[in-house]
Formats: sequence, C-alpha cells, structure tokens
Amino acid sequence: MTTLVRSVRFDQETLLIAHLLRRAGFGATPQELDSYRGMSYSDVVEALLDPDPSSTTMPTDIIFRLFPEYHASLGIDACTNWAFRMITTENPLEEKKILFWHGIFATGNDKLNNPLTILRQIDMFRRVGTDRFDDLLLELSKDPAMLIFLDNQTNHSGSINENYGREILELFSLGVGNYNEDDVKECARAFTGWSVKNAEYMALQGQKDSIWPYSRIAWHYEYRADDHDDGEKTFLGETGNFNGEDIVEIICRQDAAAQFISRHLYNFFVADEVPVPAWSDTPARDPKAIATLAKAYVDSDHSIKAMLRVLFNSDFFKEATYKKYMGPVEMIIGTLRLTGEVDSPGLGMFSAIEEAGYMGQLLFYPPSVEGWHSGEEWVNSGTLMDRVNFAASHIGNLDHPGIRDLVDRIVASCGTQPSPKDLVDSTLQLLGPVYASDDTRALLIDLASRSGAVNASAYPDSAEFDKLMSDLLRMIVSTREYQLI
Amino acid sequence: MICTDVSYEVELLVSIAVGWVLSVVTPVSVETHDSLPPVRLSHRLQFGPIRTGAMNLCNRHQVGTKVTVEYLKTIGIKTQSPRGRGFLFPYDVAFASDGQIYALNRGRVRQGLGTRIQMFNYDEEWLGEFGEGDGTGPSNFQLPVSIAFNSKDHLHVSDEGLGEIKVFDREGTPVAQLGKAGVDGGSLKFPTGLAIDGDDNLYVVERGRNRVHKLSPEGETMLIWGEEGDEDGQFDMPWGVTIDGDGLVYIADWRNDRIQKFTPEGEFLASFGESGTGDGQFHRPSSVAVDTRGTIYVTDWGNERVQVLGPDGEFRQMLRGEATLSKWAEEWLDVNRDEQTARDGSDLRMQHLPKHLGTPYQIGAQTEHLFWGPVSAKVDGKDRLYISEHSRARIQIYATN
Repeated sequence: MTTLVRSVRFDQETLLIAHLLRRAGFGATPQELDSYRGMSYSDVVEALLDPDPSSTTMPTDIIFRLFPEYHASLGIDACTNWAFRMITTENPLEEKKILFWHGIFATGNDKLNNPLTILRQIDMFRRVGTDRFDDLLLELSKDPAMLIFLDNQTNHSGSINENYGREILELFSLGVGNYNEDDVKECARAFTGWSVKNAEYMALQGQKDSIWPYSRIAWHYEYRADDHDDGEKTFLGETGNFNGEDIVEIICRQDAAAQFISRHLYNFFVADEVPVPAWSDTPARDPKAIATLAKAYVDSDHSIKAMLRVLFNSDFFKEATYKKYMGPVEMIIGTLRLTGEVDSPGLGMFSAIEEAGYMGQLLFYPPSVEGWHSGEEWVNSGTLMDRVNFAASHIGNLDHPGIRDLVDRIVASCGTQPSPKDLVDSTLQLLGPVYASDDTRALLIDLASRSGAVNASAYPDSAEFDKLMSDLLRMIVSTREYQLI
Repeated sequence: MICTDVSYEVELLVSIAVGWVLSVVTPVSVETHDSLPPVRLSHRLQFGPIRTGAMNLCNRHQVGTKVTVEYLKTIGIKTQSPRGRGFLFPYDVAFASDGQIYALNRGRVRQGLGTRIQMFNYDEEWLGEFGEGDGTGPSNFQLPVSIAFNSKDHLHVSDEGLGEIKVFDREGTPVAQLGKAGVDGGSLKFPTGLAIDGDDNLYVVERGRNRVHKLSPEGETMLIWGEEGDEDGQFDMPWGVTIDGDGLVYIADWRNDRIQKFTPEGEFLASFGESGTGDGQFHRPSSVAVDTRGTIYVTDWGNERVQVLGPDGEFRQMLRGEATLSKWAEEWLDVNRDEQTARDGSDLRMQHLPKHLGTPYQIGAQTEHLFWGPVSAKVDGKDRLYISEHSRARIQIYATN
C-alpha cells in the first residue's frame, strides 16, 4: 500500500480546474490552464457550458481541401474529421458531450456503410446534446443512421419490427426492469412510418457497401404517414393514439429516465460504474449523487446542461479526482492536444484514430448498440502496451511544440539546476497534474538522478537535458497512475 | 423541389411552349478585353442580389434570357479499385491535341489507392491509364492536383505532396520532373494549379507561399509574383489557374473568395467576387476556366456550384449540376439488377430537407444529380465545359453556346 502524494505547486482552485478539464475536456494542458487564469472554478464551469461562440476549431474548408476523403466522409476518414475538431477545439466540452452520447446511442458504420450519415448524427449531438433530453431523444428517433441501424425502415403498420422500440427503452432511456414486453410492442407501433427517404435503396446500398454509381448518398428522415399505425396504444400505463413524439414525451417523464441519464452522466464524468447490463441488479456507486442529478433533471424540465451544471459544481465531482480510467479516445485526443503537433490536417491522424481502435475504442465502430464498456475494461495487457507506446512516443518527443513548451515551463518552474526531486515534481505538476504514488515518485527521482546532478544551464541547447526530459516524460506516461484521470 | 427562381421558371415555361425559341436566342455578345482597365471592378453594381433558400437550390438560373451553358452529359463512375475504369476523387481533366481526355484521380491518399491518370474519349471509351500513388518514382504521385498539356502533347502534373511537376508523353511515359529543385532556390511548396500558355510557358500556383511561378518550358524560373494577403496581387491559399486566349492569367484566390486577373508579366488587372452565397459571390473558389469567347467559369467549390461570368466578371448564370447516368454507370446497373430495381423505386430528385441540412455541402451530399465537390473547370477544343466532381467521382459536361 502506498500513499498518494501530490506535486503541489498549483493552488487548490487551479487543481480543481485541471480536474474539471480532464473530465469535461481532454486533459488540462498548460495553455488551457493559462486561458482560464484568474477565473474561479464556477466561472470555468459556466464558460464550458456556454462557450464563446467565436471560439475556434480547425476550419472545415481546409480539412476538406487537403483531403477530399473528408469531404466525402469515407469510413474511418469521417471520424478522423471529428477527431480534428476534438484536438483543436477551444470548447472541449462541446466535443466531450458528443463522445458521451456516441457511447450511449452507439451507432455502427460496420452495418450502415454510410459514415457521412453517422457524422450527421455526431453533428446532431453537437447541436442538441445539452438541450432537453426530450429534444435529444426525439432527434435520435428521427436520426437516419439510428433508424437504419436498428432496422426501423422495416417497422411497418401491421407488421412491426421491435428493434428500435426495444432499444429506446432498454439502452437509451429507462433500462431493463422499467418496462414490459407489451410496452416494447406498443412503442414499436408508435414508431411505425418513421423512416428514411428512399429507405429501401439506401438500406440496400448500406447492406452491400455499395458506392455505385456516384458515391454514397447521405440520408435524411422521412415520415410515412400511410405506414404509421394510428391505432390506440397503451404504453407505460397511459392510453392514446400515440405517435413517436408522444412516446418520447412519456418516456422522459418517467423517474426511471431521470435515474438512467443521471447514472450515465455519473459514469462518464465522475467515476466508473459497472457496465449498463448490470445496472438492474447492481446499486449505483453513489446513490446520493444519482439522486442529486435526477432532481436536477426534474427541476430543470429535463435539461442536460442543467444536470451538468449541478454535476460539475457538486462535492461528489470535486472529490472524485483520479477515479476514472482514461478512455482510448481521451488518451489519443488528450495526448495530441498536449503535444500541439496537429495544426493542420495530415495523414498521421488516420493512424492515430486507428490506435484508439487498437486500444479498444474505434469511433463509429462500437462493439454493439450497447456501446463500449469503460472503466477497468479499457486496460488489459494488450491495450496497456498500446497506450504506453502511443503516449510515450508522442509525449517523449521534444520536437513537438506543445512538449517543448512544457519543458520550457518546467525549466522556468524549477530553475536550470534543480534537484531531481524538484524536476520530477514540476514535471508531474505540469503534465496534468499527474498523481504519483510514493514508489512511482521514488523511481522517477531515481531516473532523474541517474546521470548525477541535473544541469539545464545550457537549455534549450542541451541534448543531454533534452534526453533526460524525454526519458522522464516517457517514464511518467508509462505509469499506472497516468492511466487515471 | 419547387423552383421559385423566377428567371428559371420563365426559361422553363418558354422552353416548353416554344421549344425552338431558346435555341435562337441571340448569344451573349462577345466582348474583347484588349483594353481592360487596371482597376478593381465594382462588384456591388455588377452582381445581382444575394439569393437564399429555395432560390439558390435551382439547378440553373441565369440573368435575363441569356443562355450560355446547357448540360450535355456525364462521364464517370465511382471505383475503389486501384486499376481500371472509374474514378476515385477526380481532380482535373486535360485534353490532348486530338481531343483525347485525360483525368487525374487524386485517389484515396492515405492509402495511395487509385491515384492515377486515366485516358478516355467523349464517347466514354476507356483507353487506358498510367501512374500510381504512394511513392517517389517517376510515375508516382502523392497529392496530385492539376494537369495540363503543352503544344507537344506532354502532360504536366502538379503534385502538392511531392512539391514538383511531373511531365509525361501522351502514352504516360515519364519525360521530365520540374520544380523539385532550382525554383527560387528550392522546391515548390505545395504546387497546386497549373496552366500552360501558347509558348509552352508554365504558370504554377504555389499554395504554400501564396504566389505564382512562371516557368520556361524547361522549368527555369522566369517570373514569380504574389504574397500572402488580401490586397490586389496578394493571395490566401490560391488554387487553380488558367490562361485566356490573350494570354491573361486568372487565379482562383481560394481563401480570399475571389478570382484575380493578371497580365502575363504578373501585373494585376482585376479582381472579381467576394465572400458569400449570392450571384457573383464565392465561397472558396477552386478553379477557373475561360472559353474562346472570354466567358469565365468558376467552380465555386465551397458553395457546391459553378458560376458563369462574363469577360469582365459580371454574373451570367448559375449551375448547380444536372448529372445523369453515364454510359459506365448504366452498364454497371445493367449487371446489378437489385440496385437498378431499388433505384427505379426511389425518388432521387431534390428533397425538402430539414434546416440543419440546408447548407450547400449537405444538399450536395443528399442529392445525387447536383454538384458535390466541383473542383475543376476546364474547356476543351470545342468550347465544352468539363466540371470534375471529386466527391461524386464523375465529370459533368456542358455546351457553351
């Protein structure tokens, strides 16, 4: 058993803001912390929830110009397009919330073969991802990618396909145990006629992965009134001639919906929960936190943004530092935000996104409609090697502008002839900060002492010091502690 | 799609009622530009009002009753095969002296897949191909952008990845490599647009340094002009270039949303266009072509459309795309009957889309016959206009009456 020690240089407020940025964004780079300097924690929360509309990300026109694949949004290229935004955005929560919903409303291109349409789903999460849950669920029910993914184009009046009707209840809103089989059937009836324009042709093209004759055509929602079952339905104890809109409204009024979304938010932003299939028989990790979030859901008329405001300002969130495993996409995006190596669209992004796949989270290709299992399941002997290799190769490279800036700051922080201990503590502090156990910290100090006294007096023209910093950074990102955020 | 563009509706009605009338409408008067004033044109006076919503979605609309451009046919089909008939991100076309068409496929660059040059003719007979991606050999490309023939039927290919111009004979045999060294003391930094004048001099747009190179046929630097900026004679990530019958040079000044016109000596003559979605306004124009009458064609790439301008840059006609099935596409559907049947049961015309899908990019993505990624405009020896669409893997061809 070791004692965790903190490399304390930041004040408490800054440490909390760094914690917030690791969860609401993709890590706390020194530049990001600078941008919030002078702001209180609660002000930073508000800035993340209501970002400045003039803030920037990598311009789409330049992405499209250099790589026409992005324009046509082929396969992995489409999620790479999203990755550029995640890496370069000044509004990290905007992209993080999309990653949250992409994991819950998991839609797979392996079935659709129409990445442009999934990218439109991503845009939809960007557009309404912190609005009322009712609005989001309604948009999802009209989302062409979701409709085809769950076969709703074959859900006809008089011949229902229950797939979407079941998943919207089980995986998207209420969870097992909060509805019965009759509700599933009635729900499916209500969504008959909710389809996609030219659904038969589009579904066939998806099925065959057809790109002919003139590349894929994007999809859009179509309501087929003549294929909608307009009859009376009884759903969750209420009776009427329900259509899909009514079903969404009834769902969102349920206590179970408040509990379900609260537990998802807790799992993604606060601390790792057990996988969703176990929720029906495994109590929440922090029932009081779930109750607090569920109350925010009800009090705000189902506003996701209001729930996040309560969550980020809560004690249970502020006390939950380093209780989550960094997900693969968080690892990739956070690393590339830190290194600053992506300032224009380049070929390297393709392999970076593939790396996330090797680590177990290939965007647009969830393992099933249930999404990815997170927490400890992210890390095994194979994926750990991928994580360490990726982080070490990028963060240990002082040619990257972000890493050079980091080392500049470390030298400015601890001087040109620091003790190994000060060098390690400054590095841990500015790299996250990263918590290190006593044992880990001792190993790092030993590494820093290996060549005798640390001498950065010739910095930045010291190959020896650069080598030491590269080794130290690579060692830190290889630790167990670095996997936690 | 209900077209509410009055001028287009009028044209449509007139053409139905008296079909022959349009064919005898007096052509747009051909203006010479021997004495072009060296001043910036006054666009606000020359260009029509900004059109939005449904008006902008019409396939074509034009000022008054002047008919300049009519759709002829489409060539192409998508392929992901590294060899054989079909396109993968076609970026440009060029015409040999006998009219044979050469199409540059940018390919899927992350894999070097399908990058090559294909040869065919107007009747869609596929005649062969050469070159490939992902390499540095004499026939390899990395990020090819533009192609042009000189008077000796030598095909020049700009490559912004390799920073050079490769030259081939018309059978595809490598002849020379230009620009890798010796241009202003170093390689070209992201060469994009490429045009060749009547004396076989090359004009190469250098995106990376926001300037234009004029090279001798042997590749020696004759002239360089331009710098970063948005003033006259400055550029922001320029892309396409063309030369008109008088040797004047037109540059698609991509991120400044305008076309600039120069003398062969690099002297600024005029600029037309501004940022926007209205007639005569551009969003990231990628390419410009000029026919024998001086009519200018601009691929308004970011607005997913093509604009036809008069010799002085005045707006004349808007093209949105009217693609039909090519011979290659028809042959593919003939042997894939399930897709033909599903296609026959579909309505692929312009649809009413939700507001968030109302952008030119989304409309192009949703509507197969409209332009989606119109990247290059070229005019052949018969004044036919060829629009290469990288994201639809085809070339739409128009008559310029």
